[in-house]
Amino acid sequence: MERAVPRAGIRRRLRLATAIGALLTLLGMYAVSTTARADAAPGTNAIRVAEFPADCGFSHRLPDDPIIFPGLPGASHMHSFFGSTVTNAHTTLPDLLNSTTTCNPGVDTSSYWVPTLYRNNVPVEPAIVTFYYLGEGVRSDVVARTEPLPQGLRIVAGNALATGPENSIARWSCLHAGHVPPSKNFVNCPAGTMLESYLDFPQCWNGRDLDSPDHKSHMAYPVNQACPASHPVPVPKLRQVLRYPVNGDPSQFRLASGPGYTMHGDFFNAWPVAEMARRVNDCIRPVIKCGHDGRPL
Amino acid sequence: MRTTAASSALVAVTLLVSGCAHAGPAARPPTATTGNAASPAGTAGPGGTRGAPAFNGTDVAWLQLHVAMAERLLPALDLVPARTTDPAWRRLAAQVAATHRADLTRARGLLAGSGAPATNPHEGHDMPGMVTAEQLAELRSASVAALHRLLAQHLRAHLTQAVRVAAAEQRSGAHPAVTALAAAVVRNGTAALARLDRLDPPPASAGAR
Repeated sequence: MERAVPRAGIRRRLRLATAIGALLTLLGMYAVSTTARADAAPGTNAIRVAEFPADCGFSHRLPDDPIIFPGLPGASHMHSFFGSTVTNAHTTLPDLLNSTTTCNPGVDTSSYWVPTLYRNNVPVEPAIVTFYYLGEGVRSDVVARTEPLPQGLRIVAGNALATGPENSIARWSCLHAGHVPPSKNFVNCPAGTMLESYLDFPQCWNGRDLDSPDHKSHMAYPVNQACPASHPVPVPKLRQVLRYPVNGDPSQFRLASGPGYTMHGDFFNAWPVAEMARRVNDCIRPVIKCGHDGRPL
Repeated sequence: MRTTAASSALVAVTLLVSGCAHAGPAARPPTATTGNAASPAGTAGPGGTRGAPAFNGTDVAWLQLHVAMAERLLPALDLVPARTTDPAWRRLAAQVAATHRADLTRARGLLAGSGAPATNPHEGHDMPGMVTAEQLAELRSASVAALHRLLAQHLRAHLTQAVRVAAAEQRSGAHPAVTALAAAVVRNGTAALARLDRLDPPPASAGAR
């Protein structure tokens, strides 16, 4: 469909691109001016993104889920675990606090897990696994009063029971192939690129429960850029980004939970309280991009 | 010992079922499953300050899973009388179905008393040991020989998984009526597997049972 464009067309496109570029610059200035309100005195070279990361490689696989099936080993579909190296069906917070971890930074002994991806029925683990903690999706004044994620908090995101793209928040795309439109189901990534999955966790807490009977209702997504009255406490938004070393025909892929749109993630927070608090204070509230050590980049 | 436990479990079930006929699940404070839902599975014990036994996270998760698994197996078993005249298969399917129906009633009653959401958290989800919609469709159109083979395969997968998770509930659950139901599931499931093995000898590799 996209063919060679005649010269007049190119010139028109250039003018259009210039106009769009100018517009984007204006928007960018607006964005900077609004986010700048979150902090009166940012560091001179700070990158104005409220973020700190944890990179946590693959640890192990088990058909266990200590949130959904506590105490019931083998009850779940296959999960791939990241972070804490000890997680199984019986895992509790003290187990995680005393655990070794695959995370950088090593202070993060939290456990993160997702349904295992299979290519032609052979398990494939992501080569790059990043958990971003972000101050975004809510107004800047809400970002400025973000609270640390409480230790022991359990959050699930995504819908393992999704019966189609319409009731899913999964997002599949290609690393280094931005022209492939993202989809709620697997996408066909060109050779030399990687299939990637993005998943955003809810960031509004009810301020009371570390878990709930349905494992969801103690957390909520923002409404109109703010946390709803039922879940008034803004916490950092966890964004899970997984890069799988596979590409090509999506029909060769499945998740342990089903099609791509059943992608989901589970998080069991075991960050040391002081380390989490420092990062919220130094990175999220003042809108500064931090490295793995939780210091401004 | 066993009879005592079983009879007290029965009393507990009766109390719970009758109690919750009036007060819906929402009327019960969510203490049993909130916050500490996943915490010390197995160590919570029949806690609380009163005599009323408490449900821990394992109890609720197992009940929900057991209900969801049984609901997936029953349609497959119910196909059998219309699809085969083999008396041995018909007898086995009828026995397993009857046990599962009785277990389902007990499990649903216990769940209603637990304060857990009444919705099936595994709706539409294919978990290990569950008969899928595709497998059910395949059973409906299979020849008699294929039906016996597929049924044996699904029944073995279901019973093996049901016994595995029920044994885990026995170890990590807290509520005596729930662990008693789990004990019954292990006992009946193991017996059904033995009958299945006589009817359809398991593959050599998996025959170590």
